[in-house]
Amino acid sequence: MNPFGGLDYFLILLIVLLPVVVCGLKGVRLRVCGMLVCAVMLLAIFRTPHALLLLAAFWAWQTALTFGYLHLRRRAKKPWVFHLAVLLSLLPLLLVKLSLWFEPLRALSMLGLSYLSFRAVQPLIDIYDGRITELNVLDLSYFVLFFPSVSSGPLDRYRRFEADLHKERTGAEYRVLLQSGLWRLMTGAFYNFVAGNLIWKFWLSALPEHGFWATVSYMYGYTFFMFFNFAGYSRMAVGTAYLLGIEQPDNFDLPFLSLDMKDFWSRWHISLSTYLRDYVYTRFCMAALRGKWFKGRRTSSYLGYALTMLLMGAWHGLTPGYLIYGAYHGALMCLNDVLDTQCKGFKSLKKNPKAAWALRLVTFHLFSFGLLLFSGRLI
Amino acid sequence: MLEEIIAALNDITGADAGEITPETELFEEGLLDSFGLVELLVQLEQLGKTLDVAELTREEISTPAKIAALLA
Repeated sequence: MNPFGGLDYFLILLIVLLPVVVCGLKGVRLRVCGMLVCAVMLLAIFRTPHALLLLAAFWAWQTALTFGYLHLRRRAKKPWVFHLAVLLSLLPLLLVKLSLWFEPLRALSMLGLSYLSFRAVQPLIDIYDGRITELNVLDLSYFVLFFPSVSSGPLDRYRRFEADLHKERTGAEYRVLLQSGLWRLMTGAFYNFVAGNLIWKFWLSALPEHGFWATVSYMYGYTFFMFFNFAGYSRMAVGTAYLLGIEQPDNFDLPFLSLDMKDFWSRWHISLSTYLRDYVYTRFCMAALRGKWFKGRRTSSYLGYALTMLLMGAWHGLTPGYLIYGAYHGALMCLNDVLDTQCKGFKSLKKNPKAAWALRLVTFHLFSFGLLLFSGRLI
Repeated sequence: MLEEIIAALNDITGADAGEITPETELFEEGLLDSFGLVELLVQLEQLGKTLDVAELTREEISTPAKIAALLA
């Protein structure tokens, strides 16, 4: 069963969430009942013995790895051990991505592996940095396998999640959370089921497969479809999380109003872009500056953007469309960086209200073309 | 600490003396981006101070005064 995929999912969700809402309104802490709901929903989502076995194996692998690494980190902070732990954590994902060339590896494929893997790696980074020194196996498992965001994110952070999990709330405080959660669930469902489906049915499906103007129309249609579909999923996931007492950050913030690509990536799929910014870009640039790896002042920034965006593309998949999409965004971020630093007029353009609308239009088209690459229609 | 932060920011952004005040909105004004922030972190490290940006929102470090308060 696909999360938020159909009526059967919502029916089960409604049944299991009702007692949680009653508990929340009575001011009861939702940690334990949230975990029980999560277990039931995972059984409903993964359902088949093969999928459940894979999920159990993934959980056992990541849990053993995280606690094993925590044990080693308490003894000493060794970068190579950390890198090995991250690599091992990402190994299932890497193997599945490589199934493109080694067919048998496809047997390891499971729903949401990309998201689950990035969620599982995050505590390892916190352990290495010293932010996490103690772990509870139930809290960690609940975080990694949190069902609302199993298939499409958002990517939460462990310490933020854990703080919400242990927060004491009165019934009145929960009522506010409930209202915000229901609003997100309803608007998310509207985005996804109404707007997204209408665009798919009456716009994208109706287009011929070839031809220049059909491709131009597809580019616009696909961009709006991706927004409503994906932002809809995210809103439903965040809304469900709210009902469980977890205030996950929103994943989209009016992305089509972005002034440039840097602005765009702080508004579209925010949880992934901030994840990559904090854990790849910033760490790479800091290491490069500390070690004086490059002569040019901003060389590490350009390479950092290229690395981050290529990784973002590869995370979606190793097919040419995704990799080109990543490289394209890496190039756009570098260009944005050059404009920001070398072209003084760019800053004043962004502050001029009329010019700002032109920039928004350009940014929208740059992104739309990127999604056309992403869609694989051109390749 | 505040003076040292502003001096580092002047160096990173190439701003004129006095342009960056304790209350200047660094990201909103386009003075600091992700890389500028990394440069600031490295300069702060040389002063023996660390700022855990992965744990902080941009809003929490949006002005020199806020950064100084976090490092105090």
